[in-house]
Amino acid sequence: MKQFVTHNFKIMVLAMATLFVNSCSNEHTLNNLDATVFVRHKGADMPAYIKGNANEKIFLITLHGGPGGAGLGFQGNAFDRIEDNYGVVYFDQRGSGMSQGSYSEDEVTIDLMAEDVLALVKVIQRIYGNDSRFFLLGHSWGGALGPATLLKDQSAFLGWINVDGSHNPRDLYFEYIKNFERVAAVQIELENSVSFWESVYEELDKIDRNTVSLDDFAILNSLAFNAEDSLKNDNLINGPENGGIRVSDYNLLTFVWNLLKIQSILDEDIIGELSYTEQLSAIRIPSLVLWGRYDMVVPEFYAQEAFDNLGSNEKKLVFFERSGHSPMSTEPDRFAEEVIQFINQNK
Amino acid sequence: MRHKSQVPVFLLFLCTTLNYGQNTSKDQTSETRLPEHFWDRTEFKVGFVGTVFWSNGLSVGTEYLWKESGKTKIRKGNERTNTHQFLFNGNLGFVTNFSSKTDTGVYTNFGLTWRRTNKKGKQFGIELNPLGYYRSFLPETYEVDGDSVDRVFLPGRGFYSPSLSVGIGKQRKGKVRSGSYFNINYSPRFNYNAGILPTFFLQYGFRFNFKNKKQ
Repeated sequence: MKQFVTHNFKIMVLAMATLFVNSCSNEHTLNNLDATVFVRHKGADMPAYIKGNANEKIFLITLHGGPGGAGLGFQGNAFDRIEDNYGVVYFDQRGSGMSQGSYSEDEVTIDLMAEDVLALVKVIQRIYGNDSRFFLLGHSWGGALGPATLLKDQSAFLGWINVDGSHNPRDLYFEYIKNFERVAAVQIELENSVSFWESVYEELDKIDRNTVSLDDFAILNSLAFNAEDSLKNDNLINGPENGGIRVSDYNLLTFVWNLLKIQSILDEDIIGELSYTEQLSAIRIPSLVLWGRYDMVVPEFYAQEAFDNLGSNEKKLVFFERSGHSPMSTEPDRFAEEVIQFINQNK
Repeated sequence: MRHKSQVPVFLLFLCTTLNYGQNTSKDQTSETRLPEHFWDRTEFKVGFVGTVFWSNGLSVGTEYLWKESGKTKIRKGNERTNTHQFLFNGNLGFVTNFSSKTDTGVYTNFGLTWRRTNKKGKQFGIELNPLGYYRSFLPETYEVDGDSVDRVFLPGRGFYSPSLSVGIGKQRKGKVRSGSYFNINYSPRFNYNAGILPTFFLQYGFRFNFKNKKQ
């Protein structure tokens, strides 16, 4: 019996040691990066998943949507192609994805989250050298966090890529209503999913059109995603290509709890309140604005607004005619081409 | 943008306890005289712990039998005796997510187990561990403070993490491998980000009593 116990104990210790070593190893070879590095900053430990080919020490830092989205949600055909050319950093923001830490609700501010991004830049410079160069890409909510970061310090970045970004959630509530009415009228005229678009009118009748309400905003936001599904069914938007988050990437319960928590903290500061429109002129670095023509979540109006207000001398606006809120998933080849071309021109 | 309340697992615990606490007037309870030797009353356990999809690991632990009683009930004219036990227990576990390296940690917890065993050896138990600690282990981590960036030695964070497990099992009386168990475990982690993170694990494993003679 003693032998049995000793033998099994050894196996167990070996198994635990293997698990531990596996869970801590990283690949930092520049042309084939695959590393998970945590950034510890002001009470939070935030994972950065660094992948791709950084032979030129050029890194594209991505900011996910939400708040409370997942950094690895960008993964897919478009970013596979970008990774072939440049290093890509997928980052779980404070209180999002698999980020952990210990801080109070009062400490969580958009300003602090912007500082987290600048801390990430310093960590990458520490690992790969001070000659590392950066581009910043923000999608949806990341389109608000991006400007917040750049307005604090844009000196570290060679370019800004805004993908269907919500730089002006202050006015989004009312723009939702206008956009729904506009798109519904067109789709009913085209006899596309008429019953759905008529139900949109019915939903609009129920909400407060004069005052921003968080509950009504949630309804409009959810309706926007449903509307994109309808447009997809009517073959106006491509279906998403494979990619995104793998089941094993995120602990679902942790992810969902983080999402709900960070949104409950930040929503009141964002919805109907936050706008960077007037400050976009202070962003001087080259900028690329990428937008799905049928984006119902952050309507196309904001593409033009972002483009018009950016202070960059070099800026370009690109619409994806068969996309909604996530052109990287629905038109990945063209998306990758635009991003790679932008980085090539400005590196 | 949406708010949801946490699942009140405590209610489940309360309902289960109350249900099993109900006695009829014909029930008889008798205290069992326990062996005096420490090792006769001590069992060890080892098993799988994890969520299957996101984190998997190993758990080891020990249980010390504190009190035991037999409860005899008359059901449909037949006499049934169930054994009720209270045990002190302690656990040490390790879990990891192989894919992302972001969900690795070690936990330990201590508390009390209540377990009912019927005459066929089928068991139902509730394990409440108010003393619990979870320590995450992170991969390469750098701390940023102003312009200073330093690599962190043994990065990770500690959280107070009590636990509640509810599960079933099977007793193998008198054998070295003295039983098996399957539990659903709830372990909140306190002051995780800006709140209390609820975590759930499955636990499956075996208990051993090395004082028993049979294999």
